[in-house]
Amino acid sequence: MTRFTRREFLVTSGTGLGLLAAGCAPTIKGDFSPKTGRRVVVIGGGWGGATAAKYVRLADPSIEVILLEPNRRFVSCPFSNLVLSGVRTIDSLTFGYRGLRNHGVRVLHEAATAIEPDARRVRVGEGYLQYDRLIVSPGVEFQTEQVDGLGQAGDEVLHAWKAGPQTVMLADRLRAMPDGGVFVLTVPPVAYRCPPGPYERVCQVAWYLKNNKPKSKLIVLDANQNIVSKTALFRAAWQAYPNLEYRASNKVVKVDPGARQVTTEFGDAVKYDVVNLIPPQRAGTIAVQADLVSADKRWCEVNHVTYESVKHQNVHVIGDSTIGLPVPKSGNIANAMGKISALAVVHLLNGKEPLALAPGNTCYSWVNDREAIAVVNAYRIDGGKVVQIEQKLTPGQSAQWGRHAVGWATSIWNDVLG
Amino acid sequence: MRTTLAVLVVLAVAPGAAAGPLDAPGAAKAVVCSACHGEGGQSPSNVMPILAGMPSWYLKKAVDDYAAGRRLSPEMEPYAKQVLQLGVDEIAAYFAGQTRRPPDVRSDPAAVERGRAAAGQCVGCHTASGKGDPAKGIPDITGQPPGYLQNQMLLFKTDRRSPGDESLKALKAFFKTLPDEQIADLAGFYSSLR
Repeated sequence: MTRFTRREFLVTSGTGLGLLAAGCAPTIKGDFSPKTGRRVVVIGGGWGGATAAKYVRLADPSIEVILLEPNRRFVSCPFSNLVLSGVRTIDSLTFGYRGLRNHGVRVLHEAATAIEPDARRVRVGEGYLQYDRLIVSPGVEFQTEQVDGLGQAGDEVLHAWKAGPQTVMLADRLRAMPDGGVFVLTVPPVAYRCPPGPYERVCQVAWYLKNNKPKSKLIVLDANQNIVSKTALFRAAWQAYPNLEYRASNKVVKVDPGARQVTTEFGDAVKYDVVNLIPPQRAGTIAVQADLVSADKRWCEVNHVTYESVKHQNVHVIGDSTIGLPVPKSGNIANAMGKISALAVVHLLNGKEPLALAPGNTCYSWVNDREAIAVVNAYRIDGGKVVQIEQKLTPGQSAQWGRHAVGWATSIWNDVLG
Repeated sequence: MRTTLAVLVVLAVAPGAAAGPLDAPGAAKAVVCSACHGEGGQSPSNVMPILAGMPSWYLKKAVDDYAAGRRLSPEMEPYAKQVLQLGVDEIAAYFAGQTRRPPDVRSDPAAVERGRAAAGQCVGCHTASGKGDPAKGIPDITGQPPGYLQNQMLLFKTDRRSPGDESLKALKAFFKTLPDEQIADLAGFYSSLR
């Protein structure tokens, strides 16, 4: 049963927001929602965290689940490249958290500010929540310091790599660009969120330019030596786009919004009319602050069966911020990790042995307005580690895979939030 | 005495798991499937088949055929191998035990009526109810999303499902005689059957 204190209600309701905006919101202090039974707190309501919160409730409705997610709406990164080409609207990718509430998840639109593993507490503002087990799904954070000038550029240089306002802004800039303009898209070095995502974006921008601004050019500056994912399929798809120039091993290290110019590590300057700079990435900030990351301070190592952190007990980490499993940083993998970690947490809280379940990954990429390609990975647990059974690619691009992509999205959005 | 009993009952229940939908045997092993096939196998899309209530013999055959490459699917071949390694019997029994709901995607009523008129050609094998005959290996084709049924019929028609399978030769020859529009109507009709 979901119970909110008056304070929680004020903070999470529209009234609370209004008060916050007016600067007189009631402050969260102390143990603002004392634990009465077994409790799982989930940090982050994206693909991993939202799924985990729901599946803990499905697996054991006697466990209280609190999800901390500052955003009031979920915007899907998968399919968001279609907003750039105008094939999809951002509204069609935007969902609320009502479905999770219907499962009895207490959704608080607040940011977790710190984790105290020894005390089993999550700090929220000046207050805290106690947990029996914590699931952290913080996504990625951008390493803006890796690109000179990026930290000061603000919205002049867009990543559009977390679907939302920046996606719409980038689409607007693409539309406003004069025919004959140059669009520069930069790809960060691995590991980053969604390996094929930049190349799908290349397809969508190139498709839009070909049909709307045929004198324009798309220059792709890729920090990697080659297309990272679905390589041959993207190469084949790009044959349709003569306005596309792909430069491998061109890591961008500097951006100058005043001069409208990026510079590669070899010192080559490339002028742009519109830039989309996808920065290098690491685990979400709270994972770094809570010392869940490895020595490289970038990603989190976990147990492959339970997703418990190798650094802190009772803290499980899932999704894009993990490293060491032979899986891509994808929404589908985060969804699978959400379910598997939820089951593991429920088994552990009930004194049972966690099941050895492996994730799976289905990943579609749109190569134009109606055709897609896909890669699928299956896994098993071997000796306590996730190992790949097989990877399959579609034999080519087709509208059939496009229809499958729509089916996949319909289904998995419902699995995450419904 | 009553108080003592009540306390004992509470103690017996409190630390254990309250029964949830994932307590069913095989449910935990099937969670990876739900990304595409829906929670409990109740696929909400027009593309992926509903596994809820699917007879276990047919699901096991499908998994075997996908894993062996007889049914060609870059999506299902890896997952079928994963399911075989996890234990297909348990997973198939789990889905067979789930109550199937009508598909979320509804068929165009006009297409359903045209399909009903054309379905006389199908009842010889799939029976008048569309429920098939497990003893002869004829599957139940009712209540699936129309897009899924249509796609499977088109795969038969173009010999891209189980190519070279002698037992399907007559079926494929039959589909070659059907216009694509009639296949869509038949899909709508069989999807509407319960």
